Amino acid sequence: MIITVVDHYPKIPNPPREPKLRRAIHAYDQGKITKEDLDRVFDEVTKEVIEEQISAGIELITDGQIRWEDGQSYIGKKLDGIEIGGLFRYFDNNTYYRQPIVIGEIRWKEPIILEDWKKAQEWAKDKPVKAVLTGPYTLARLSRDEYYKDLEKLSKAYTKALVEEVKLLEESKVNYLQLNEPSIQYYPEDFDLFLELYKEFRKIFSGKLAIYTYFHSLIPLKNRLKELPIDILGIDFVSKKENFELLKEFPKNLSLGYGIVDARNTKLETPEQIADLIKRALNYISEDNLYINPSCGLEYLPRERAYEKLLNLSLGVKLVRGDKK
Amino acid sequence: MREIKLPILPTTSVGSFPKPDYLLKARNQYAKGLISYSTLYELELKATEEVIKMQEEIGVDILVHGEMERGDMATYFAENLEGFTISGLVRSYGNRYYKKPIVIGKIRRTKPITVDMFKFAQSLTKKPIKGMLTGPYTIADWSFNEYYENKRDLVLELAEIINQEALDLEKAGALFIQIDEPAVPTHPEEINIAKEGFKISTKNLKSFLITHICYGDFRPIWNEVINFPVHQFDLEFTNNADKLYPLIEKYGFPKDKYIAVGVIDVHSHRIESVEEIKARIKEALKYFKPDQIFVDPDCGLKTRTWEEAKAKMENMVKAVNEVREELIKEGYSSEIKIKMEA
Ligand SMILES: [Zn+2]
Repeated sequence: MIITVVDHYPKIPNPPREPKLRRAIHAYDQGKITKEDLDRVFDEVTKEVIEEQISAGIELITDGQIRWEDGQSYIGKKLDGIEIGGLFRYFDNNTYYRQPIVIGEIRWKEPIILEDWKKAQEWAKDKPVKAVLTGPYTLARLSRDEYYKDLEKLSKAYTKALVEEVKLLEESKVNYLQLNEPSIQYYPEDFDLFLELYKEFRKIFSGKLAIYTYFHSLIPLKNRLKELPIDILGIDFVSKKENFELLKEFPKNLSLGYGIVDARNTKLETPEQIADLIKRALNYISEDNLYINPSCGLEYLPRERAYEKLLNLSLGVKLVRGDKK
Repeated sequence: MREIKLPILPTTSVGSFPKPDYLLKARNQYAKGLISYSTLYELELKATEEVIKMQEEIGVDILVHGEMERGDMATYFAENLEGFTISGLVRSYGNRYYKKPIVIGKIRRTKPITVDMFKFAQSLTKKPIKGMLTGPYTIADWSFNEYYENKRDLVLELAEIINQEALDLEKAGALFIQIDEPAVPTHPEEINIAKEGFKISTKNLKSFLITHICYGDFRPIWNEVINFPVHQFDLEFTNNADKLYPLIEKYGFPKDKYIAVGVIDVHSHRIESVEEIKARIKEALKYFKPDQIFVDPDCGLKTRTWEEAKAKMENMVKAVNEVREELIKEGYSSEIKIKMEA
């Protein structure tokens, strides 16, 4: 069992702590501070959220995606062929993202998350940091395609560009790479295409390769999950309770990212409740194949509550580990 | 039978206007405990007067009070109801954050929430002011729920409360009441809960009822939504034209209902030209009868600057005036008459 998080972490704390990133971005937008000043704050806040995750007991952390405005535009703005457009609702959340508009051939031109990951891993010292990207299928689904006018071509173009990034991550000895693919749940009919995309990543990445889904159900793909050429599959068991049906026949060739703490509601789960849910999974899945994490990224919660949720999550895991001794 | 008379293609806006700098500063100081509520309230009234004056000068037909007293459209109601507490900050996009409500107990309305500000705004103008409410499904969906057993229970409780508030607005003289439900398209699987809540919110109302829904994909729920008990739908035809018009083409639009057509992009700094806006109105005229159409921006204007909001509204009214003249030349009456139950 490894205690982990999904991707983002709340960027600003509440009083009495200072919302320094919000202030810095505002000051930067008004031309009052330089890009270097802003970068320094991004780094400081990233260090803070790394420390917070570690102190909550998280064993496999992320950089909190502190630099990301959203899952799409942070990648889109660093690729050729893409312009950043208007605001769109992100799935069923009261949260919005800027839509990538594909206006030409998509090409990788500069590192996207490589530097972020390197810095985060240095600050996290001996705790492993996962590299997290939005997956090509979800990027394609959330973009406006004015160039390829074809979902298959578009998602393959995104894959080709992201593969360039993953090559660099592989060279830098990233051990955990996660691609977020919530969109595939809404279009299970595209699963063949989806597999094709992931074969490309598998060819070049030798570490643990994960796909995380959230907000929805994987039941329609129940019998096909074993075909995924990856190591870890993350599933949200909070938004859709029916996903618990997947436990019984969960593919033996995969580890499960077990999303059981509600990252979209403040109601706090107790360590005992968490321990019970873990035991439920242990009936079917071995301890070595379990990653325990919240249902999705934590930015839907106020920062302090996100921390408390992680604390209880790791206390729950410790209860199970203690029980076993 | 009552009758409301308006110029053909009545102009209006969705609800919010930008807060002047002095009000933003005062809200900030109030949050830190540096000024009293009465000081803040005076400034909210001052800003409301300015918003009304701006709309009158531009020549808008149905005004809004501008929501100077509201931060977020769901949080404002939660702040004024028992059973809610307000969480820390949660990011909505970019560098924008809001305080999301948390339901921690049984929800009760101890006093009218929106009536005083409505009365004040209406006292400043002879033109009608819309009573502005947020729908029960949206308040529920945009809150954390730590108390009610399930979402339906929470929505239905809020629906009764919004209904009481709407009845109070009618008593205070509101001829138009708008109940916004932007969260409805986000959970197509919960459309029945949303519908049930909306019905309760609108029971026994006699005013002209409007609902504004935005940022959504209506495709899975269109046939349900167009049967919501309202007189008018207010939709974003600028940012979502490519999704909305095909739906109307395919399923039609009720002949006895009105449509407020969004013709201004509220997320862009760019001021659309009169010609561009005229083209958007004319596009709408291909799908709706001229006496069915109201014209407004896509959504609330609160994220624009004061100058941008004013310039956008000015061009919108200019564009409407030009199209009106053309319609009158074609033989349409210069007025529309809306028949209402007494
Ligand atoms: Zn809106």
